[in-house]
Amino acid sequence: MVADYWENVFTARERGQQVVWYNGSAVNPIFQAAGLEWCHGEAFSARLAAQQLEKPAQLAAEEYGYIGELCSYARTHLGCAVLTQQARSEDQTGVVGLIDQQELASRLPAPDFFVNAYAGCSTGQQWDEISYRVFGKEVPIFNVSLPFLWGNKPDSGYLRGREWDEASQYVARQLHDLIAFVESMTGRPFDWDALREAMTYIKRASELRREAMELCKAAPTPATYWDWIASIAHINFLPATQELVDYFQAVKDEIVKRLESGIPGVQNERYRFYFDGIMNWNKLGWLAKKFAAHDVAMVCGRYTHNAFWQEPHLIDTDDPILGMAQHYLLCPTNHGTKTLKYLTNRDCEEYGVDGIVFHASRTCRAFTNPQHLLAKAAQRELGIPSMFFEGDVADASFYKDEILESRLVAMLETIDLRRSRATA
Amino acid sequence: MSEHFMGVDLGSTTAKAVIIGADAGMVAWRTVQMGAVSREGMRQAVDGALESAELRRADIGRVIGTGYGRRLVPGVDRTFTEITCHARGVAAACPGVRLVIDIGGQDSKAIAVDRDGFVEDFAMNDRCASGTGRFFEVLARALECEVDELAGLARSGSEDLEVSSMCATFAETEIVSLLAQGAEPPDIAASVHRAVAARTLGLVAQVGKRRPIVMTGGVAKNAAAVHALAEALESELIVPPHPQITGAYGAALLALETYEGAPPRRAADLERAEESAAAAFAPQSSPSCADCEVSDSTARSVVLGLPIPVRRP
Repeated sequence: MVADYWENVFTARERGQQVVWYNGSAVNPIFQAAGLEWCHGEAFSARLAAQQLEKPAQLAAEEYGYIGELCSYARTHLGCAVLTQQARSEDQTGVVGLIDQQELASRLPAPDFFVNAYAGCSTGQQWDEISYRVFGKEVPIFNVSLPFLWGNKPDSGYLRGREWDEASQYVARQLHDLIAFVESMTGRPFDWDALREAMTYIKRASELRREAMELCKAAPTPATYWDWIASIAHINFLPATQELVDYFQAVKDEIVKRLESGIPGVQNERYRFYFDGIMNWNKLGWLAKKFAAHDVAMVCGRYTHNAFWQEPHLIDTDDPILGMAQHYLLCPTNHGTKTLKYLTNRDCEEYGVDGIVFHASRTCRAFTNPQHLLAKAAQRELGIPSMFFEGDVADASFYKDEILESRLVAMLETIDLRRSRATA
Repeated sequence: MSEHFMGVDLGSTTAKAVIIGADAGMVAWRTVQMGAVSREGMRQAVDGALESAELRRADIGRVIGTGYGRRLVPGVDRTFTEITCHARGVAAACPGVRLVIDIGGQDSKAIAVDRDGFVEDFAMNDRCASGTGRFFEVLARALECEVDELAGLARSGSEDLEVSSMCATFAETEIVSLLAQGAEPPDIAASVHRAVAARTLGLVAQVGKRRPIVMTGGVAKNAAAVHALAEALESELIVPPHPQITGAYGAALLALETYEGAPPRRAADLERAEESAAAAFAPQSSPSCADCEVSDSTARSVVLGLPIPVRRP
């Protein structure tokens, strides 16, 4: 499904389709209802990193002038923008080979317009503005402003309080403006029925996903965080159709079957961990194998379990705008520490977690900023130990295996000692 | 039951081997500095410790390996990370310790220890050898002196120069640049020691400052480094007399405690073992700041060892 989606994006021009580049929130149902093809910049960067194809784009970005410590999602995607733009003008970059340039540049069609709807990350909020400049300010852009949910007012809390209500309404109004902008770009009236239909599929797919996640609280868990990572693309940006619902129905069915058959996500599950941090796409399979080799089942995580249409009850399929706006605010980098502590500790308790692994992604400070506070809260309030390792979302050079290995083993030893003391 | 147990800590620059008896008392130890994760250094350390103890390898009931090269120790029965071993060794040598700061050749760590002497939390340096023994090697090379001479040099420095604490490699560039600007080597040495202390402070912040604090690792033998860190922490630091071997000692203790032939240990046994361990590491002399020029000292006596005086601004 994911490969088909990207192939569809790559061939959009051949079919005379308009293409929108966007970043941040999953505003794609609006594009789908408007009959557009959509390319999520982060997703394309993640795809390149997972396929070990990110370097040419990153080199092109650095040659253009972006520093190596810029968000590697943004750096990769801006590199793609540079290559795409250069391909249109038949320029050549000096450092990226022609084959790589053609592969990347010819595959990602240039945008007809940009939409940015980024929550909780200042780089993300400027990213499309920079792409807009790479394309010579000739491509229209629309920005959706998503306020940070501080969550520190007396009545504030997860999904409640005046701050939440006001922010929800503020974003909902902007989505109406976005739809008017999209109408101006397509020259067609917006198809509200198509949006309602898309959101009906998304709501059902999300319900199935959450039900399946709930089943994974079992010990041993039938599926791990890494399995949920593998289905991020589906819930995040694939077309909302019956096929999407069928996919998550199949995921849930497989988990039910695994539970019935006693098939665990990790053989010999001895430790249950929580993963905090954005995904290290270069090392997806590597990390899954590494933790499994130590009998660690990564049972849940902030990126998978507190993002991506995770509160389907908020979606009113007859009038979906408010529920969509609320999900855009619920990005896991868009909460104050109080809410993040609540979500992390809640999941650690519900999933019976023994330890937390913090992926301190070098170029994603939005995700890493609160991590030490979360670690201390879990230790203090639940007695759960944690460890940190450095890596990145799409730049493998920041990952050092020996550092992860020694810290992981040290934490497992700590847990073993605690267990032996508890049973002594 | 076997009477002897060995811990081998193969670090990035130094190999350490410790042999203990069944009462946890230290029988022999040897450190050998041979270069990066040196197998030859490890062999010499192990053979040297055995020779000192007048034992053969067959007399050792169990061997635990730790450090970067822990998997390379021949005949090792099990490995533990240096986090666990340092915490175990220091907790035994200095009962009541709550924070261990270990600065070795290539890494530095802060280990929070709970009231029972087990690891509660830990933090290690990331991505760079800044704040480690390597940092001091870089300094010595740039100042054209021996590492052992740095403490004396730093002690005579007075001016506070700005030195990056983020990267050992770039620090060398900075040092060369300072020399080119006419800065005095003692001032540079003193400033680098302060930069290392500042870097270590960040690690301590991650796990939380708590007392008593014990400093171990090769850098703990550098009196100026200990002094700079004590000042930065505004706290006494306890330095065991053999700060480089606490990891190997912890490994040896774990060898004893995980030995299958070991009989169940009663509280009295444990107490005796703790006493032996504490005696083995009883502070004999500071490494040390005995000859530091200290004014307005706020040092207080602590029962666990020799406090490092703190000079307040």
